[in-house]
Amino acid sequence: MAQPVRSANLPTEGRSLPAFLIIGWRWIGRNPAVAIAPILLPFIFLYFLSLISPAELLPLEIVGAMLFTLQNIGSWVLGDSASWRIEASLQDLFVASPMGRLRYLFGIAFSNLIAMIPALVILGTLLGYVEWDRGTPVPFYAWLILLGVLFALWVLFSSIGIAISSRVKTQREIWPVGNLTFAVLGMLSPLYYPISYLPPAWQLVAHGIPTTYAALLVQGVLGITPAATDTLLLYAGLLGLSTAIGVTIALRLYRWRPG
Amino acid sequence: MTSDVVLSPSRPFRGLRWFVFTELLVQGHETLAMATSMVVQGVLLVFVWILNPGLLPVAFVGAIVFSMFTMGNRVLNEAAYLRIDHRSNDLYFASPLQPEAYFLGMALGILLVYIWPVVAIAAVSLWVVAYTPSLALLLFAVSAGVWLFSASVGYIFSTFFRENRAIWAYSSLFFNLFGVLFPVFYPLTLFPPALQPIALVLPPSAAAALVQSALGTIALSTNGVWLASGSLAVEVMACFVGAALWARRTAREP
Repeated sequence: MAQPVRSANLPTEGRSLPAFLIIGWRWIGRNPAVAIAPILLPFIFLYFLSLISPAELLPLEIVGAMLFTLQNIGSWVLGDSASWRIEASLQDLFVASPMGRLRYLFGIAFSNLIAMIPALVILGTLLGYVEWDRGTPVPFYAWLILLGVLFALWVLFSSIGIAISSRVKTQREIWPVGNLTFAVLGMLSPLYYPISYLPPAWQLVAHGIPTTYAALLVQGVLGITPAATDTLLLYAGLLGLSTAIGVTIALRLYRWRPG
Repeated sequence: MTSDVVLSPSRPFRGLRWFVFTELLVQGHETLAMATSMVVQGVLLVFVWILNPGLLPVAFVGAIVFSMFTMGNRVLNEAAYLRIDHRSNDLYFASPLQPEAYFLGMALGILLVYIWPVVAIAAVSLWVVAYTPSLALLLFAVSAGVWLFSASVGYIFSTFFRENRAIWAYSSLFFNLFGVLFPVFYPLTLFPPALQPIALVLPPSAAAALVQSALGTIALSTNGVWLASGSLAVEVMACFVGAALWARRTAREP
């Protein structure tokens, strides 16, 4: 006679992130282009921009590439979550497990962050070198603020990605929906140029997007587009507020159920 | 017992017309994908508009060439999707439809649907590009060549994938590398001189260089014109024949 499983003895928490770390790592190991693409893509756009724009904008464009890389995690999270749900029917398994939806969200976001880390490290090194070469080395506190901003964008765009993924119905929709959402958000925000370059109406629209405050805060802290301390604090507050609102809306849209 | 079905001898590209129609109906429902097919081009045009408006004519003709180039990405995705997810290619290949007609029909069906956003970009470009009949004809010819090259390469690539999830990383690298890094949206003269011959043998940048030369933005030498046009013609024909043969070969796989 079969013995019932004594689930009380099984660990029910504390294993999600390491498990998703392995998933992220295995995914890179099996598909090297998955690791190479996030590294090369920002550089392809960076090279293009460096050819068509003034040389003094290079540090701003490198920071923009870092922020854009983190924003793009949303597209990857969307793709993974939707594929697992639609193609592999894995969401049923996750919903039935003791893991809650927040752990699932952070797990997928974490597994995708693994693939983005090499790109961020290379871009960070390049930023440090370019600023040092220009006689304005990046201060320690600016690195900390940059990390904080990247963390906020990681959480926000992963939430948006997973929220959209739960609404996607077929595999065919994943790429166009992700492309439209995250490319347009990236284009509307002044990631690769100062906000003053944009027409006034566009500047107004850009102020409704969290990435704009992320870009303005980092550009200000690095001294690329100088701003007063009060203004920087305002940007930080607005980034935090818009991130909180964005995550709340995303989690409300997110469907955590089988099928 | 004998069958009443009469099997006529197979001829190359048999069933092409019907598969173009099938793919046209399938792709016609993909309004979201059609609407988003111009996102990258749009983003790059906005970058040029904001950072260097003087390059807009080059960027616009580059956007047209790039749009035709990225249709190969659609072919790649569609062929992989039908094979991996739907497995409907088995059904098609079991019918009298010839494999090369399946490949070309898919490419033509996608072209007929996704050409309309390209036409829209071409219409907008009338504001900044001074088209002459010869320039328009040249742009049409090289764009057609880039499309056929890209569709052929896209179809061949699609047969190597075993899961849809892996496609994005590889395809975005391929299409952005040859369509954005190389001088398609910007003049060939901004590209490092030592690497310009490489740009002239790659179909998207070769096509863009020929159009830029006709536009008067760059002065391409006679050798450069021969290199670009010769490479484009040879690569287009080689890839098309290769894709047709590859379609036949892969259709026989169990």
